[in-house]
Amino acid sequence: MSCLKARELVVDIPGRASGAPLGFSVKPGQVWGVLGPNGAGKTTLLHTLAGLRPPRGGQVQLDGRTLAVQWRKQVSRRIGLVFQDRQDGFPATVLETALIGRHPWLSAWQMESSDDIALAEQALQALDVGHLRDRLVSTLSGGERQRVAIATLMTQNPDIWLLDEPTNHLDLHHQVAVMNLLTTRAGSGKAVFMCLHDLNLAARWCNHLLLLYPNGEACWGPAETMLVPSSLEQLYNQKLETVELDGAPFFVPARG
Amino acid sequence: MWRGCSLMLTGMLLALMPALARAICADDALGRELCLAGPAARIVSLSPGATELLFSAGAGSKVVGVGAWSDYPPEAEQLPRVGDSSRLDLEAIVALRPDLLVAWVDGNSRQQVERLEQLGLPAFWLAPREFEDIPRAIESLAVLAGTEQPAQAEAQAFRAGIRQLELRYQNAGPVRVFYQVWDQPLMTINRDELIGKAIELCGGINVFGHLPRLVPRISKEAVLQAAPEVIVTSGREPGDRQWLQAWQSYDSLPAVVADNLFLEPPDILARPTVRMLDGVTHLCQTLETARARL
Amino acid sequence: MPGSSIVRPLAGLVLLSILVMMFAVTVGSAQSGMFKVLWVFSGGGTGLERTLILDLRLPRVLSAFAVGGLLSVAGALMQVLLRNPLADPYVLGLSGGAAVGALLAMLAGMGGFVVSGSAFAGALLATLLVFGLAHGSGSWTPSRLLLTGVVVAAGWGALITLILAMTPAARLPGMLYWLMGDLSHSGQPWPGLLVLLLACLLVLPLGRSLNVLARGSLQAAALGVAVRPLEWLVYLLASLLTATAVTMAGAVGFVGLVVPHMLRLVLGNDQRLILPACALAGGILLVLADTLGRTVIAPEQLPVGVITALLGVPTFLYLLYRSR
Repeated sequence: MSCLKARELVVDIPGRASGAPLGFSVKPGQVWGVLGPNGAGKTTLLHTLAGLRPPRGGQVQLDGRTLAVQWRKQVSRRIGLVFQDRQDGFPATVLETALIGRHPWLSAWQMESSDDIALAEQALQALDVGHLRDRLVSTLSGGERQRVAIATLMTQNPDIWLLDEPTNHLDLHHQVAVMNLLTTRAGSGKAVFMCLHDLNLAARWCNHLLLLYPNGEACWGPAETMLVPSSLEQLYNQKLETVELDGAPFFVPARG
Repeated sequence: MWRGCSLMLTGMLLALMPALARAICADDALGRELCLAGPAARIVSLSPGATELLFSAGAGSKVVGVGAWSDYPPEAEQLPRVGDSSRLDLEAIVALRPDLLVAWVDGNSRQQVERLEQLGLPAFWLAPREFEDIPRAIESLAVLAGTEQPAQAEAQAFRAGIRQLELRYQNAGPVRVFYQVWDQPLMTINRDELIGKAIELCGGINVFGHLPRLVPRISKEAVLQAAPEVIVTSGREPGDRQWLQAWQSYDSLPAVVADNLFLEPPDILARPTVRMLDGVTHLCQTLETARARL
Repeated sequence: MPGSSIVRPLAGLVLLSILVMMFAVTVGSAQSGMFKVLWVFSGGGTGLERTLILDLRLPRVLSAFAVGGLLSVAGALMQVLLRNPLADPYVLGLSGGAAVGALLAMLAGMGGFVVSGSAFAGALLATLLVFGLAHGSGSWTPSRLLLTGVVVAAGWGALITLILAMTPAARLPGMLYWLMGDLSHSGQPWPGLLVLLLACLLVLPLGRSLNVLARGSLQAAALGVAVRPLEWLVYLLASLLTATAVTMAGAVGFVGLVVPHMLRLVLGNDQRLILPACALAGGILLVLADTLGRTVIAPEQLPVGVITALLGVPTFLYLLYRSR
């Protein structure tokens, strides 16, 4: 069970002044939601936490050691990332795409075993794309591709799951299914950290929140303490109406 | 008095008219008849072969411009250049104000010369394919340049020289000859090419004479199959025996066994001009030597 | 992908390679027949037959196989590197550099070995040039690499045109033949075959990383692939393979583009299968093309580049049509 920690972390967004330093921990069992308007730097933060971009200040620590000094292969066994923008690479089938998730676990000379294939197929089934296993990824709809990407992460099965807007392109049924899946995983010891643009999804499913303000300010903590209407209104620069639903708050943009 | 003078003048004019009306004409290699009003005084040669033939025709003093690579006779080296084969400098040619252009069928671009013809410059095309074409070309050029006298001697000397060679070698024993034009790609000539005809005149059999193309590109295998008794080439440069040395390793070749690998001087064999006579003479002597070694 | 689904197609291709090469050795200006060939291999035959088969045909067939394999593997690697199924080994200007080297040597009146050496040097120069230019500031992305390569290739093309314009007419046939791709002056096939074998061995452990890289560089980085070093390695390897091939046979076109593509349509996308299969299938294709070029208007010769173009395009169109 790994723990990802941000220490005095300042994310490097080219052309932007440094924001406030971030210091939070992502622990097993936690489901973090990152909220903020477009352009607040959510994607950049996620990439920095995954070790794909160097921070401008501070450091990212995985299990107590700085990310930058660890072997990438080891890191990728413990941290996985679902991107927001699909990079359309070479043609490949759905099963092949999911299977690349096993790469961190195999040495250069090893071929994928039947166990690896079984893992990939299970992941595809869990994301309801199992029936598409032999289709070319380029022929899928946006929502199907999104689910394949999440299935790839599931096949990789790291301890820390980083997701950038995982519910994009998904219809309502699959949005709920994915959030359920992520919560269940967190329940069995994974740590989930995702960017969401839907405030209510975050309110419903996340137990920790990080708010990134457009002016560089940030605050974070357990969801109950973060879901204060005034700070959310400041975050989105939009007046909100709050409604109680099943004991959880539900936010609607106010009219006028 | 007046009437007498005018009658005499009219009479003189009438006598001269036939001479004036007789324009200067010659047939070129494209089958066209070219007629000039008077002998050409400013001639531009568009290829080295044409340059040599013009000088042989005694018209050297009338040549005002030559194509690139015109290096024979030595006087030609001093003349202004007008560009190379299909990349002629049209402006330079026009600036020389020529009244006759001499072009080479396999060397110059038809389109470029036609362009010059449109500007009013008459063009005479040459394409010697047989030995007889060479003296005939000299004679035609002499007619156009008004230098028939000196040309006749050259033409006749060439004809006589060829005839002598034909007589001398008519009973020579046949030898199988491979003439190598280039190494990469491997090129040779067929029997319609002038060098091919020279080989036959000297009593040789061109092993690739039967091929349809004038300059065929063949394989090494084909040469080994043909098993020539003599290999002749002019090499890449004078004195460069590299291509011949490359054949040494194939000791199944009769030519290699008999050490019949010969380098011919390129200038006198490659150009269809009067010097061809020297070239053919040299080639025939080479084949004689080869015969003795077989 | 389980191991067996790799071994079987490769075994089939190996068998086909041997058959095709044996066939090619029996064919030439003089028909030899299988029995004569086997007899020569076992030490018999006349001097002429031994020369024909062992000194002329066998090295040529092996060279054709090597060149076809080298170009196909290089093409497959380029396609992964640039994430573009339409890339070929020459897209980054490598053949242009080699051509300029070779043509300059020919212009200076040099022969055989110097021309080959210059071609290789020119190819390496082109490689380093594009590498250095694309390195610049900012990331070494496929699109940046491609743009740089296309511009540099155009530059080489201009130089080639210049050289051809300035050459005396007598030297032109040799230059044009080299530019079309010609196996008649290929020397020893062993260096080419060795480079091909080493490349295939090197690529096997990298195969899965290449599969991952092909999905996108960020995705690959997130899965633990050392993206930048891997891309450099792929680039340099593809360049070395192409330089070797072009040095042996001039710029033979289409093989590097068509063979990887054809194989992907038939065998899928696993680079661990595709790359060795390219080596074999490319070799087979070029041996067949060269055999055709040697015999179709015998004793005259057609350069192998002409045949690959004529065969490659309709084959490719047919396969694309089939796969829709």
